[in-house]
Order: sequence, then structure tokens, then C-alpha cells
Amino acid sequence: MTTVETSAPPARRPRVPPIVRYLARRLAIAVGLLFGSTLIGFLLVQAVPGDPVAANLSDEALGDPAAVAAFEQRWGLDEPLPVQYLTYLRNLVQGDLGTSQHTGRPVVEDLLDHIPATLEIALPAILLSVLLGIGIGMFAALRHGRAADQAVRIGSLLGLSTPPFWLSLLALYLFFFVLGLSPGGGRLSPEFSPPPSVTGLYPVDALLAGDPMLAWDAVQHAALPVLVLTLVTTATLVRFVRSALLEVLRKDYITAAHAKGLPPRTVLFRHLLRAGLVQIMTMAGLTFASMLAGTVLIESVFAWPGLGNYAYTSASALDRPAILGVTLFVAATYILINLVVDLLYGLADPRIRLS
Amino acid sequence: MPRRFRVPARRRRLLAAVSLAAVVTCVLSACTAGRAGSAARDNTLVVDTSFVYKTLDPGMVYEQTGYLAVHVLYESLLTFEGGDVTEPKPGLAESYEASPDATRFTFTLRENATFSDGTPVTAEDAEFSLNRLVNLKGSTSAYFADLDIRAVDDRTVRVTSRAPNPNVPVLMAMPAASIVNADVVAEHGGRSDESAASQDRAQSYLDQNTAGSGPYVLERNQPGEQLVLTANENYWGDKPGYARVVIRNMEAQNQKLTLTRSSSPEIALDIAGTLLEGLPPSLTVSQQPDTSYFSFVNTDPQVSRVGSRPEFVRAVRAALDYRGLAELFGSRSGPARGLIAPAYPGTLPKQDTLRQDLPLARKLLRDAGLTDPAIEFIYPAITYRGVDLGTIATKVQGDAAKAGITIELRPLPMNSFLEQYRGGKAQMGMTPQALTYPRADSMVRVMSPGGVNAERMNWTEDKASADVLSATDDFLAATTDEQRNAAVVRWQHAMYRDAPYVLLGNNSGTVVSTPEVSGAEYTPAGWIVDLAAVRPAS
Repeated sequence: MTTVETSAPPARRPRVPPIVRYLARRLAIAVGLLFGSTLIGFLLVQAVPGDPVAANLSDEALGDPAAVAAFEQRWGLDEPLPVQYLTYLRNLVQGDLGTSQHTGRPVVEDLLDHIPATLEIALPAILLSVLLGIGIGMFAALRHGRAADQAVRIGSLLGLSTPPFWLSLLALYLFFFVLGLSPGGGRLSPEFSPPPSVTGLYPVDALLAGDPMLAWDAVQHAALPVLVLTLVTTATLVRFVRSALLEVLRKDYITAAHAKGLPPRTVLFRHLLRAGLVQIMTMAGLTFASMLAGTVLIESVFAWPGLGNYAYTSASALDRPAILGVTLFVAATYILINLVVDLLYGLADPRIRLS
Repeated sequence: MPRRFRVPARRRRLLAAVSLAAVVTCVLSACTAGRAGSAARDNTLVVDTSFVYKTLDPGMVYEQTGYLAVHVLYESLLTFEGGDVTEPKPGLAESYEASPDATRFTFTLRENATFSDGTPVTAEDAEFSLNRLVNLKGSTSAYFADLDIRAVDDRTVRVTSRAPNPNVPVLMAMPAASIVNADVVAEHGGRSDESAASQDRAQSYLDQNTAGSGPYVLERNQPGEQLVLTANENYWGDKPGYARVVIRNMEAQNQKLTLTRSSSPEIALDIAGTLLEGLPPSLTVSQQPDTSYFSFVNTDPQVSRVGSRPEFVRAVRAALDYRGLAELFGSRSGPARGLIAPAYPGTLPKQDTLRQDLPLARKLLRDAGLTDPAIEFIYPAITYRGVDLGTIATKVQGDAAKAGITIELRPLPMNSFLEQYRGGKAQMGMTPQALTYPRADSMVRVMSPGGVNAERMNWTEDKASADVLSATDDFLAATTDEQRNAAVVRWQHAMYRDAPYVLLGNNSGTVVSTPEVSGAEYTPAGWIVDLAAVRPAS
């Protein structure tokens, strides 16, 4: 009798789903990018002409060595640059972005105050822009070469070439000053106090607090900045959507779809729009990121206390912790939005799949 | 050629409807706004201003929006009433005595003054507050550095100056010299000893809370957005005119639009210069010319061979059209006279008004052998108090050209300007200058040889004339306001002849108010307007 020794099959390593591996890889890259952005941001802030001591102290205090030394010590400017950067990184790992030299508050708190203000106008603006951009862009593409197409092209060109701050001033002048139909600026009328903060978005928080009047006031104040942001962004998206769809319209499979006798609606939404969606999503994502990062002129005209205003004020005061905080947020925003857009590609185009 | 789609009519209508709905939603929401008028608005004074402040900590406050708020959140030993800055008036101190040599000042506190938490204001609070100010080494500490401050008893504060200093009572009226509740501030990390510069931790508390005795308390501080003040229920003096004050951040152009339309209690603080043109007559304008604009010329030959020649500075001075410059400033005070702006004691009389003299300018250049002199001129590319500095610089360039001087304009971002100017490397340039407190003292100290402004022009005592040096010494040796006001006249004349500065003009600080309010009077004291003195119009 012979015996056969059997050994247990080798334990299989649990398969890591591709999406998890993909996300882990992207996360690692994101950390590297964020680290790089802090380094570049730090070096650029050093390279900018201007001395933070001179930007923050009075003439008389600048003539007093004790006052200059006290300021440098208070803000760690008396340390060598590498030490300053390492200290910044060490604090950053612990979630501490430092204290703003301009506001005297932790930068994290400042960002948490200003980011929701920007989101309050950027979110509705991007939703409206995508809706209008796709609608009008598709309309123009389908009427390529006709009068309607020409009108859309001219309109979008006007929108693109009009400086946002000028459009803001015009909107404010027209709706507030001439017609008296809009509030002048800010997030709330002076007689209102902000609602208890849950999301930081005043209309939402006001509704959560059961105060519809306050919510309505907040919506009214946001309306004009949203309108301007929407107009500016829609102009960009319209041209992009139109050109993306025109390219798809020339493809053989669109001709084939028509030849097969598919209903126009099916061709339009299942083949045409879906094929152009990848490019449209890329553009919409980048536009949204730029809205979060750079609506400074619109915010300035409407006295809107958003991130753009904060970034501008910080840069004017050479407020290094705040500048670096904004840089980090903007970098993180672009990285996150790009990731989301990349993941959405798979939904829009079945050829793009993780394996 | 792409195939043309025929979208079904129903789909076309849907697409059009969706697009239209989005636009209409946007516009309608804008168009139905701004209808929240109520009694709350009548009890609220709205103050529109372009924010310039970093902190509301009295020991660190320096910028004008900070001064505006701190002046009504806190009180100092003395103060100024309305727009009159000739004589400090009682504040928390009901009286004071000065020694004849202006080195010892004794302040007697009121008996009934209390902080907003109801506790009495004592001399110990004053000693703590003023010593904290000195030791924090902030932007205003230098003015108080020579002072020894002690509480003699509960109601008596003695301030001793190492050198004669008749300005001590004026210093005690500055918002920086506000008296804080020592116990509260110490409890939140405040210190008044020499460790304050590195160990004091009270600023973050004072940025969100009040520890003072003023007519208002801080309800909310939202940097970059608004400051909300509410009336102090425990205020020992007359109640302020409004239960609530909202100071909101707004650009000057928008302030003009807002005030023009406003029908509620509202004031604006930055509608100045040419922005004042076209305002409705129903609005009240209060202003005082308290800012001097001057051009500086570097005296170091290695920085500028041309600029280092005193004849060049005199030629530029003679070439300028001061009347034309005054029009650009929108100044109601007329052409420039002296370095001390007309709002302050010691300003020069009208007969000293500067005049253009182009033949003299050309002669000065010719006699000095300066043929076709050229120089670089830096200035901050900003609009300050409603005046675009680029417009002023261009006017200077044009006037100088008539005398044969080539000025190459170089507008710079503010930080770059400050770096070049403060680094002493600028050949020539321009900047506004206001007094830090309403006495010529602060101007004389920084502009005379040895002062920070003079150092930036590399203008040292060995380059200065004996006349300038003796005029400066005489001014600083004077022990009364009257003596100093007389001495500063001579100082300005000497500076006009020999200093590397060219006065360009004066601009006014302004308060514009709606018909619903009264008492919104501009003050050159530093805090722009006393918000507690603004009341509903009867």
C-alpha cells in the first residue's frame, strides 16, 4: 500500500480589488504631489519680493530692533529657512497649518470659514454652467453652420472675452444700483446673523436651523455672484462642448447609427453625448477647481468673503502660513477633482475600465 | 460633412425650457432680493469700509479699521471729541496734571467707570494695559517705550517720561493705549512684564471677545467679512445711538453705490478724492485734510547721481503745478503748504501755499550743470483714499518734463514698493504719509535726519543743513504743545529748503452718511469716526 502525502494547497493571498489598488496608488501620488506643492509654495513665497516684517509692522516699529526681533521670534522668522520648512511640515502632519500673521487665527479655522463661502457660489454656478453649457453647446453643434450656431458662437466669445470683474461691476450696477432689485454685497443683510454652522453654507444651515427668511436672504445675496460665475463658465463650456460634439458628429459610427435607423434621440444621448462626455467632464472638473481657487475678482466686487478674497489679502500681507494653506488647499482640490473625474470616466465610457 | 440631426420638436422644447429655466432662476432670485427692511435695520448702524486690520487686541492694533472698532470697544485715559484734536478731553481719567518739565503726568480715574462685565476700572488695570502695550513690542509700542507707568492707588496712575514729552496726554488718547480688564486678559494668557513679546497669548481671545469698558462690546469678528458690535449694557456713560453696529468690508466704489441707494442708517468711510463727485446732495460729507503725499529723493550718489544733488530736488519742487495736483486729490484744502497736513496743529498758514515756478526750475538745473537729468520714480500701484497714485505720478512726470527733467515711472505692487523704499535703494518715489497720532511729533521724528524715512533716503545728519538740525532739536526740546506748534512751523520751512522730500499735496479722510444719521463726523485722531457719537437723525 502506498500512501500519498498530500500537502495543503498554498494559502491564496486575498485578491485586492483593482479599484482599491488604483485608489491606493493615486493616494500615494497625491501625497507626493501635496508634499511637492508645499515645497514649491514655500520656495516661491521666499522668492517673492517683499519682507513680511516690513509688510506687517509700522514704520516706527521697523526702526526699533526690539520690535523687529519680537516679530521675527513670534512668527519663527528668526530660524534658518530649512528649519522653518521642517517645522511647517511637522506641524502639517499634525493637521496644524500654522497661524495667520494677518488674522492671528489658525489657518485651518480661516480656511474653514472662507471655503464654504466660495462653495456657496461655486456649487450652484458649476451645476448651472454644466447644464447650460451642455444644452447650448449641443444645440449649436447640431445646428452647425446655421444662424443659431453663429449666434451661440458670438455669444460665447463675448462671454469669454468679458473680464469677470467688469461683468460683476455691470451686474451690480444694473441689478443693485439701477433697478434696486438685488442686495449690494456680502453674504447676508446687516440685520441678520449667520446661522449656526453645520455645513458652512448659509442657505443650507439656515434651513437646518428652521429659519427660511435667513435662508432666502442668503440665497438673494448669492444670486448675483452665482449669475456672473455661471455666465463666465458657461461661455467656456459652450465652446468646448460644441467643438467636442462636432468632432464626434463626424465619426463613422454616428453615420452608421443613423443608417441603422436608430431614433435621433437614441443617437443623440446614447452615442453622441456619451462619446463627448469624457472631454466635457474633464473640462467641467478643471473649471470647478479653478472656481474654487480663483474667483478673487468676483468675490472682491461682491464683498464675498470667500477663498479668493482670503488668498488675495494673505498675499498682500505676505502672510506665509496663510499663503501656504491656500496653496495646499488648491493643490488638494485639483488632485481630488482630477481623481473624481478619472473615476467617472469609467462610467461614461465602457472602454475605460480598471483591470 | 456631419449629418444634421432633426431633434424632435418635443425634445427641442424641453431643452429650451431647461436652459431658460436655469437663466430665469438665476435672474429672478437676484431680482427679488434685498427686501428685508425692518425695525432691526433701524436699530443697526451699518458702516461700510475697506477692511484694514489684523487684530482687535488694543496692545497690537495699528490699522485704521482696528482703531475704529477698538475706540468704541475700549476706552483710554483721555480722548478727543468730534473732529477737534487740539486738546485731549477726559476719558477714563476725569483729570490729569502735568509737571512743568513735561516728564511727570498724573491721571485721576473716574469713580463710576466699569468694564463690560460690571467690574470697576482701576489704576492697576491701567498699569497692566499700558505696560503690556510697551512690552508687546508691537507697531505702536515704540511711542510708549520711554514711559514708566505705575498705579499710585486705586484711582491714580502716574506716567513718567525719561525725556520731556508734552505729547504724553495725546498718547494716552490713542486706541492703542486702551485700558483692558487686567484680570480677564491675564486669565487668557496676557502678560504685562518684559516676557510679553514672546509669552503673551491673549491676542486670540481679544480678537473674539471684549475686555474693555467702551460703549460697545464685540458680538462677532469675521475677518475679511464683518465686525458686529452690540451696545454694552453695563456702560457707565451715555448710551450709544444704535443698539448694534455692523462694520462690513466693502470696496470704495461699491460704498458709493450702496450709500447712494441706502435709506437706512449707514455710513461709508472710503468715498474720498474724486469718488466724491456725483454723490446725491442728501448725503452728508465730513472730511478733514489729514494726509500728506510727498515724493522722496535718494541722497546717496551711488543710488542716484542726479537725485543726490540738492539742486535737483529744488528744481523738481519748483517745477510742480501744485494747484493741478490739488485738483487730482479732490482736495478742498487747496494746494500743498507743508509736511504737516492742515487737519493738525502746527500746519503752515495759507500764505505758505506752494507755487509752480518753471523758470526757476530750469535755472536751478542749468546752474548746477544738470543737463537732461533722468531718474527712476517708484510708487505703489494702488488707489488710496479714492486717488489713483498712478495719476499723481503721471502728473509729476509731466510737470517735471516741462523743466527738462525725465522721470521714468515704475509702478510696483505694494510689497515690492515697500521693499525698495524701505531698503534705501529707490532713486525717487512717492508715498502718502499720515500722522500716527494727531501731533507733528511722529512726523518730525521719522522725517528728520536719524528717522526711519530719512534713513531710507540715506539722508544722514552729516548731509543735513544746520538749519534743519537745529529746527529739529528745538522742536524736540519744546515742553508744551504751544511751543512745539510754533517750532514745527520753522521745521517745515527748513525741511522745504533742504530736505530730500518734495511735498505733492494733501488728501482728506472722509465720512459720508445717509440722511438717517447725525453726528458722523470725521476725526483725524486716528479712529476715523466715533461710532458711539453717531445717532439717529431727529
